[in-house]
Amino acid sequence: MQQQKEIFVKIDRCVGCRSCTIACAVAHSESHSLFGAISEKPMPKSCVYVEWVPPDRKVPLVCRNCDEAPCMSACICGAITRNEQGMLITDRDKCIGCWTCVMVCPYGVIGRHEETHKAYRCDRCPDRDIPACVEACPTKAMIYETVESYSESMRKHASIEISRSDKG
Amino acid sequence: MKGFKYLIVGASAAGMAAAHTIRQCDQEGSIGIFTDEIDPPYFRPLIPFLISGKKKASDMFMDGTGLYVEKDIVINSGNQVTTLNINEKKIGLSNCASVSWNKILLATGSRPFMPKKIEGLNTQGVFALRSLSDARQMAKMVDQSKHAIMLGGGILNLKTAFALLEKGLKVTLIVYSPEVLSQLMEPDDASLIRKALNEVGLKIITGVNATAIHSEKGKVKGILLDNGVDLPCEMVCVGKGVKPNVEFLENTQLTLNEGIVADIYTACNIPDVYTAGDVAVTFDPVTGASMKTALWTNAVEMGRCAGKNMAGIKTAYSGTLGILNATQVANVPFVSMGTVHTDQTDFQVFRHRTDKSYRKLVFRADGNQLLGAVFVGNIQNAGLYRYVIREKMKIDHIKSYIIDHQLHYGHFGMRKK
Repeated sequence: MQQQKEIFVKIDRCVGCRSCTIACAVAHSESHSLFGAISEKPMPKSCVYVEWVPPDRKVPLVCRNCDEAPCMSACICGAITRNEQGMLITDRDKCIGCWTCVMVCPYGVIGRHEETHKAYRCDRCPDRDIPACVEACPTKAMIYETVESYSESMRKHASIEISRSDKG
Repeated sequence: MKGFKYLIVGASAAGMAAAHTIRQCDQEGSIGIFTDEIDPPYFRPLIPFLISGKKKASDMFMDGTGLYVEKDIVINSGNQVTTLNINEKKIGLSNCASVSWNKILLATGSRPFMPKKIEGLNTQGVFALRSLSDARQMAKMVDQSKHAIMLGGGILNLKTAFALLEKGLKVTLIVYSPEVLSQLMEPDDASLIRKALNEVGLKIITGVNATAIHSEKGKVKGILLDNGVDLPCEMVCVGKGVKPNVEFLENTQLTLNEGIVADIYTACNIPDVYTAGDVAVTFDPVTGASMKTALWTNAVEMGRCAGKNMAGIKTAYSGTLGILNATQVANVPFVSMGTVHTDQTDFQVFRHRTDKSYRKLVFRADGNQLLGAVFVGNIQNAGLYRYVIREKMKIDHIKSYIIDHQLHYGHFGMRKK
């Protein structure tokens, strides 16, 4: 099986511009355009959250697709299932809006759609090659790679850092 | 019948979670589940939707959803286990057959508690909603009823009350406690929920009990309350809590204490016998006191733990919060978790109320540990608070965010003071 790509976040690169948030909402709108999305009712929701931590750190958060997913175990109606790619998917038809998943998610990345009374979360943009949030990030703080290739790039980065400190 | 390497008694949350977890760990060993219910395993919390007509029974089946996707699990529906023979490692079924086992999980669950003080509970038209077949019976009575009386103000009764309201019935909730949801919050915490319930037309009478149900030609005609009021009705629904199904184990060597006593590895006092779910007596992770919880999410978690232990992967059950509930009634979402009853305690409590939301955060008396939380109206990021409570996290650097309901995952990475 081909390895599934994940969304990784390089926190030191995030400037808190929230381009990811807007791109996510637009990608999940009916019109797929910013101006159309703003006037849609219900307003399209973003599944990416950019939080701020003092003194001045920005933290983009998105569903991590936990291996031992508390949301999937806790769901009382079988609405959360893992698909063949390993992604956790909330089935809107099954969801009854009891918010048990919201109560157990340790990352706080499951949203409550008040108008439709359904839980929602990142679906990794199944119709796109690269999720909209990743594509929109101007500082490349969000990265879409397989675990293997991401760890390889991290190892290379670490070795460059070490060689620099040797010279320094 | 051929025996099973893993035999599971009960096909609801704990039993099914255990079976599928065992299969993940052991691809070969035979797994057999026995249940007295006729339906294939289903999500029990959904049964009020059968009454409202929002879901069909087939929409509630567990197989193929969520955790329940493993194969080669034999489900024997309509097969009640009536005896347990520990020495011979066999169970006896209601049809007199016996089945042998290598390891057994007792996940027999619980059933509605029927208060003996109320006369006439056997009358036609009195329900205690527990199974899909109960829900079917109740759904049949809906068309013949104008007024339903619900005894008890817990979540199940509220959900059922809504189902009946949607079907056009007049519904009255009789609650002995001073307020609805008294197991999950204090009266003052529930005021927004109460207001919303009143607005949707649910009639609620608090501080009274039922004493007798009258009948006419064997059918419910009315109910007498202990304040002398007599209410005509055609349907009564009893929601006064549950009691564990342990009677068939009373003459065995198993240690029972209302339910079946489990150690921290979900094991009973006899080798190869395990227990999980509503029937299991576990412990409070904070105080160590023994407790039973009767919650779907806890039953799944404990069932998964039992499954791992049965498959040979020794796993401690971390215990759970006695209160861990989320739902939405009358467009008001709420979450209640951990220690939330603070009357006459020295806990440090912070409350905040607006016209649309309410929250209460309960800390240990010294203020250094979060013990419980109630969120009404706005339940954002509730999972993070559960995590803080459960992990007994050091909170001095994030306490103000907790009190203000501003906590997010980024705060966990902050440097501790």
